[in-house]
Amino acid sequence: MTEFLQALILGLLIGGVYALLASGLTLIFGVMNVINIAHGAFLILAAFITWSIWRETGLDPLAAIIVLTPLMFAFGWLLYNLTVRPIRRAPPAASVLLTFGLALFLEGIMGVIWGNTSHSVRPSYSTESFEIGELFLPKAQVYGGLVAIVVLASLYLVLTRTWLGRAIRASAVNPQGAELVGVNVAAVAALTFAIGVASAGAGGAIASVLYPFLPGSHYQWIARLLGIIVLGGMGSLPGAVIGALCLGVAELMTVTYIGPEWATGVPYVFVFIVLLLRPQGILGTRLREDVATA
Amino acid sequence: MTGSSSTAAATGTLQGGGAPPSAAPSKALRSPWTAVIALAVLAVGLFPVFSDDLYYQNMFILSMVFAIGAVGLNVITGYAGYISLGQGAFIGLGAYAVGICVGDIGGSPWVWVPVAGVLAGAVAALLGVVAMRARGHSFVILTIAFLFLVQLLATNWDSLTNGTGGITLPIPTWSVDYQYWPFYYSLMGLLAVSLVASWWIRRTKFGMGLIAIREDEDKAATVGVSTPTYKILAFVSSAVFVGMAGGVYGYYISFIDPLGMFNILLSVQIILSLLLGGRATLWGPVLGAFIIEWLNETTNNEFGGGNARLLIFGGLLALVVLFLPQGIIPTAQSWIERWRSRGKAGLAGERLTGIDLYKRPAPRAEAPPVTGKPLLEVKGLEKRFGGVQAVDGASFSVPEGSITALIGPNGSGKTTVFNLIGGTMAPQAGEVWFDGRRIDGKPPWQRAHLGLGRTFQITRLFREMTVLENVVAPLRGFHVRLLNTDAVSGREARRAEELLEFVGMRKYRDVRASELSYGQQKLVELAQILMLDPRLIMLDEPAGGINPTLIERIGEMIRELNADGKTFLIVEHNMPFVLGLCNPVIVLARGTAIASGTPDEIQRDAQVLDAYLGEDFRLEEPVKA
Repeated sequence: MTEFLQALILGLLIGGVYALLASGLTLIFGVMNVINIAHGAFLILAAFITWSIWRETGLDPLAAIIVLTPLMFAFGWLLYNLTVRPIRRAPPAASVLLTFGLALFLEGIMGVIWGNTSHSVRPSYSTESFEIGELFLPKAQVYGGLVAIVVLASLYLVLTRTWLGRAIRASAVNPQGAELVGVNVAAVAALTFAIGVASAGAGGAIASVLYPFLPGSHYQWIARLLGIIVLGGMGSLPGAVIGALCLGVAELMTVTYIGPEWATGVPYVFVFIVLLLRPQGILGTRLREDVATA
Repeated sequence: MTGSSSTAAATGTLQGGGAPPSAAPSKALRSPWTAVIALAVLAVGLFPVFSDDLYYQNMFILSMVFAIGAVGLNVITGYAGYISLGQGAFIGLGAYAVGICVGDIGGSPWVWVPVAGVLAGAVAALLGVVAMRARGHSFVILTIAFLFLVQLLATNWDSLTNGTGGITLPIPTWSVDYQYWPFYYSLMGLLAVSLVASWWIRRTKFGMGLIAIREDEDKAATVGVSTPTYKILAFVSSAVFVGMAGGVYGYYISFIDPLGMFNILLSVQIILSLLLGGRATLWGPVLGAFIIEWLNETTNNEFGGGNARLLIFGGLLALVVLFLPQGIIPTAQSWIERWRSRGKAGLAGERLTGIDLYKRPAPRAEAPPVTGKPLLEVKGLEKRFGGVQAVDGASFSVPEGSITALIGPNGSGKTTVFNLIGGTMAPQAGEVWFDGRRIDGKPPWQRAHLGLGRTFQITRLFREMTVLENVVAPLRGFHVRLLNTDAVSGREARRAEELLEFVGMRKYRDVRASELSYGQQKLVELAQILMLDPRLIMLDEPAGGINPTLIERIGEMIRELNADGKTFLIVEHNMPFVLGLCNPVIVLARGTAIASGTPDEIQRDAQVLDAYLGEDFRLEEPVKA
């Protein structure tokens, strides 16, 4: 029972971090119909930058979020305008291939700068745990999960309480309609992409404390995040949160009861099962295709 | 343009998504191309005989492995439009099949190469089954998950694969004098077979169905293309030879491990080969593969591989998507085409004015006697979208031989009813009966085979196909032999031309559908479903958004076809058109049929006036046609 409870709590905490990372991905998909395969690479990049900051200044990696978020926001905005924007009107396949190319390119750059060895950020509390009864909760996991929830909550507030948030949601639901009521959809798309990348920045800083990483880790991350948004329903923010929590718990349960070497397989199995049984995911809706605009 | 033979004209344009639509240039292009290709094949084929340079033999061998992978990928990505980032997995599966069989059962690796092909084909069929419900982005995600999942299995299933330790294959037994010849020529043979398969697919109904799926999958189903069958066959044919090539490749490099065999860079190189060379072309994937492998070797030698490969392939992938989306061969073709057609005016822009003389096409079969019994019956149909009850217990019937109208205010559920009858959507409750058979539950293509043809409110032609190809695309049945018939046979082309003549679009035969005006597309779509020779023709707003002359003309065509025994069900807002042409008229409001009767009765029905026509409705004058 303790074992189960431990796995459940740790799964939910890590699920919070996944939720933050997946929200950025699902937001970008929802607004511009782009599957950003480079999302994993963005978060590993953020993890490496966090590592460098921590190494040079000793700044706590979770505090580094304050630097990482605006930095990655600017990076995302720039990258969108340089690469994704020109192919806005191209078939959806183009954006998948483009961001896949970007992911490989970033992996190469990270390999050149930081080397292809495993890195991890180890602040003083990384070896300590909270002990509650028989439960051992590593402090890094607890702090990481809580910070992720705070960042995610502020993202949610931005989306629901600000004009920009309304513009983003309007563009997601109906781009032409949003354009008609005065939303500059192209500019909103750039900001959305930047926000998505910024959330990967914050999530990457947190992830750097939780998992060791190397440039090639981004494949595993993107597979995990794709599994989450497929499960939750692509483009749905609450769906991403639910999917993330499910995946976090499922991974921890797999580690506990089946074996750690199979944990990476959980998201792939998610993808297969969801696409077979409920292709629209938990919270996804099937759109009316008959009224699609010409 | 109309001078060339119709078959050549049609298949010529299937060469590439972006290939020029007209037949003559691509035909003329063929001769210099053929010479270049023949020389290249000869050079690669004779290379090991005249040179013992192992560096280049190795490079050609790897190029051919990628080429086979890319030619296979072309079937699903180029023809059917499904992007896969996991194509490399089939190479790994093939290699593992050979490695495991040799290790556990014994024998020469060559013996097991066909087994590798069968395994790859079987796995691809499974993937196809999952992909039946996943399109676009979901499918891409599925292929990534697939690649990583097989890699994980190969890593963790120690007892079968020896995990990360990998499998070592026996050293070749032939004399060193023959160098890599057996690998070289067996791969060359496999590449040749793959290319023949690709060529065959492109020129048959099979390939045409795949292209229809690429252009508009739902529409393809409504014109009789059995989409899941086509997709699964496409997946299998995209994997079998790749699996066999993987088996040879595994033997060639003699060591098989999860990281090497299921490396995502292998998939990247395959997809880059296809994109660079040109999707949906025959030789594009081969050209691309030789360029990519050369780049691969150069990167390894000059920059030490590793990160440099990531930078070069990642960067190249992004650059190709941004700046060369069509690939080398289609881009070159369109340059040549543009250079040749300088100063010539096209057909597009010509206007249809007045009513040309046209003759109605001979009906394919004797019209069944008109009995007046219901041909189509709809009972208690219901369809909800989330909280919206779009169709709420609609019941009506369409008498055989009639021109029945379905009218009603916007949002009353007319188009949804059409989709439920045609099978693009499934109702939550209710029944649809066609010609005494219950058809709700049948997929759209089977309904098309039974004799149900429909057009769409917003025209949905296959945009990259020519007008003629669009008209011959519909299929009136499914059997295996059909897959092997020519995409455009002479008899079909003649029939299609008759139909095009009938709708007055014959002159536009070789124009690409995306270049037509909206009204012209409506006419072609009508000819397209007439090719199905349907018993019931369902038209969704045939008079919407087109000029009055054309409306009159469409009305006339409907009458003519009706005289030949075709039954019509028409959704339309143009009241003069409907009331002058149709009888009976069914009125739909809030998802239910509220009235049905002759035009006169409908115009006087209090409920109808209230719900739709308005109390002051007065028909000025019915369209005379």
